[in-house]
Amino acid sequence: MTAAARPERITRRRHPSSGRPQIVLPQEPLLFGILGFVLVLVVWEAAVSMGLVRASLMSSPSRIVAAAIADFGSGVIWPHIGVSLLEWTVGFALAVVLGIPIGLLIGSFRRLEYVLDPWLSALYATPTVALIPLIILLFGVGTNSKFAVVFLEGFVTITISTITGAHAAEKKYLDLARSFRASRRLTFRSVTLPSSVPFIITGIRIGAGRALVGVVVSEFIAANVGLGFYISLNGTTLNASRVMLGILLIGLFGIGIGQAIRRVERRFDAWRPAIH
Amino acid sequence: MLDQDLALSARGVRMEYRDRTTRDRLTAIERVDLDIRHGEFVSIVGPSGCGKSTFIKIVNGLLPATEGEIEVRRSKTGFDHAMVFQDSSLFPWYTVIGNVAYGLVCQGVRKKEAYERARPFLRLVGLEGFEDKYPYQLSGGMQQRANLARALTVDPEILLMDEPFAALDAQTREIMQVELVRIWSQSRKTVLFITHQIDEAIFLSDRVLVMSARPGRILADITIDLPRPRVLDIKRTPAFTAYEDQIWKLIAVQLTATAQGTAA
Repeated sequence: MTAAARPERITRRRHPSSGRPQIVLPQEPLLFGILGFVLVLVVWEAAVSMGLVRASLMSSPSRIVAAAIADFGSGVIWPHIGVSLLEWTVGFALAVVLGIPIGLLIGSFRRLEYVLDPWLSALYATPTVALIPLIILLFGVGTNSKFAVVFLEGFVTITISTITGAHAAEKKYLDLARSFRASRRLTFRSVTLPSSVPFIITGIRIGAGRALVGVVVSEFIAANVGLGFYISLNGTTLNASRVMLGILLIGLFGIGIGQAIRRVERRFDAWRPAIH
Repeated sequence: MLDQDLALSARGVRMEYRDRTTRDRLTAIERVDLDIRHGEFVSIVGPSGCGKSTFIKIVNGLLPATEGEIEVRRSKTGFDHAMVFQDSSLFPWYTVIGNVAYGLVCQGVRKKEAYERARPFLRLVGLEGFEDKYPYQLSGGMQQRANLARALTVDPEILLMDEPFAALDAQTREIMQVELVRIWSQSRKTVLFITHQIDEAIFLSDRVLVMSARPGRILADITIDLPRPRVLDIKRTPAFTAYEDQIWKLIAVQLTATAQGTAA
């Protein structure tokens, strides 16, 4: 019987070495996680109100909440959230839709890979931030240049990861397909593609993070709307509470993306033993 | 053309390969001649690394022979041979029925029909009710049952079995041997079986071929004259142990020769 199925909420068990009874609370990871979070907020708030830290530089939890109420109340923050979301979604969707098939294509043709690999590697190694001025020259300062930055961040990562995935098929599975005389197409569908899925998902996860960096940085450099712009504007006008609010929203967005990807991953994972 | 009652005929099969690190040309197998009659169960035993797995991979078309010829009769459905792999090689991303039906799907049979045709073979190997499980949910013995069912589903003229029970524990292995005898007597397939277990080869086979240490040659062709259907008790009969002694002596000479070769 598992601990969760027991009727009592608090379990006592004897620690094998010390012999002292140990108390285990339900949901400990969540409980202690929240405890730590609340502790930091309390210390932060106290430090500011006691004058140990300047509120104008570090803000405080209560001031951030006040800023949130003000900007969500007046509605001025919605366009910033909306535009950043749109930039990420469009740019990254394009990166996924093009990156996966192109990665599989390159991975399936040796010579094509020899030709393109140096370019992809160079593009991956160069921080996309360095390309932003060039991209602005090409696409202007508007939303199009943001799409391009986000796309590039996501696309290069996903493509490279997918190429690796296209080579990941184990020899024993390829031998099996050959032994049953599977066509090239069936071999791809039954062996190459399923073997590449973990690599594609890893590419998506890393690419999603890099794409979010792309959103923020490109809005720092040239924009008049978006959460990156909101952060940098309030930074130059010395409004620490709004800077913190912007950071918080970007962070929440990042967490949301991570959760969504984990959900997609689980859909492909029915055939794997659960690792819990 | 193949003789009327022959399922497989190999003539002068030789296989050389180049060692990856030393770049030397090495001979894996040397002039193997072999005839297997239709419906016959033939095993090849030999010391590890003697090339018996190489030979079966050549028959399966996974490795090229340097010289020689192999002819295999086609069954009515057109499939000449199907391999039962050493590690079960079930696709972890397909369910049991998806794996067992794979050979049919490779022949262009539609998925739904392939699943229907695969079902009786699942029953034959004793996996009924496990259709929708994934391979990781099966024990090693059950995985090998699925592996066998997958090969049987394409109705090949000859089943190629490459040490299929090598990774199983001793008890499961014996159960699988008995199961294989039962399945073989029901399906009446020609079988070429590779193993390094002498008792396994004798228990299962009509004929046991002993292969030499590398380069592999057929040293002896021993007809196993034991009554069928065979049960595990047969392993304790004097006739059985006499075969074991005979084969073990042939292999022991090879092992000593290899050891001396390495020392020199």
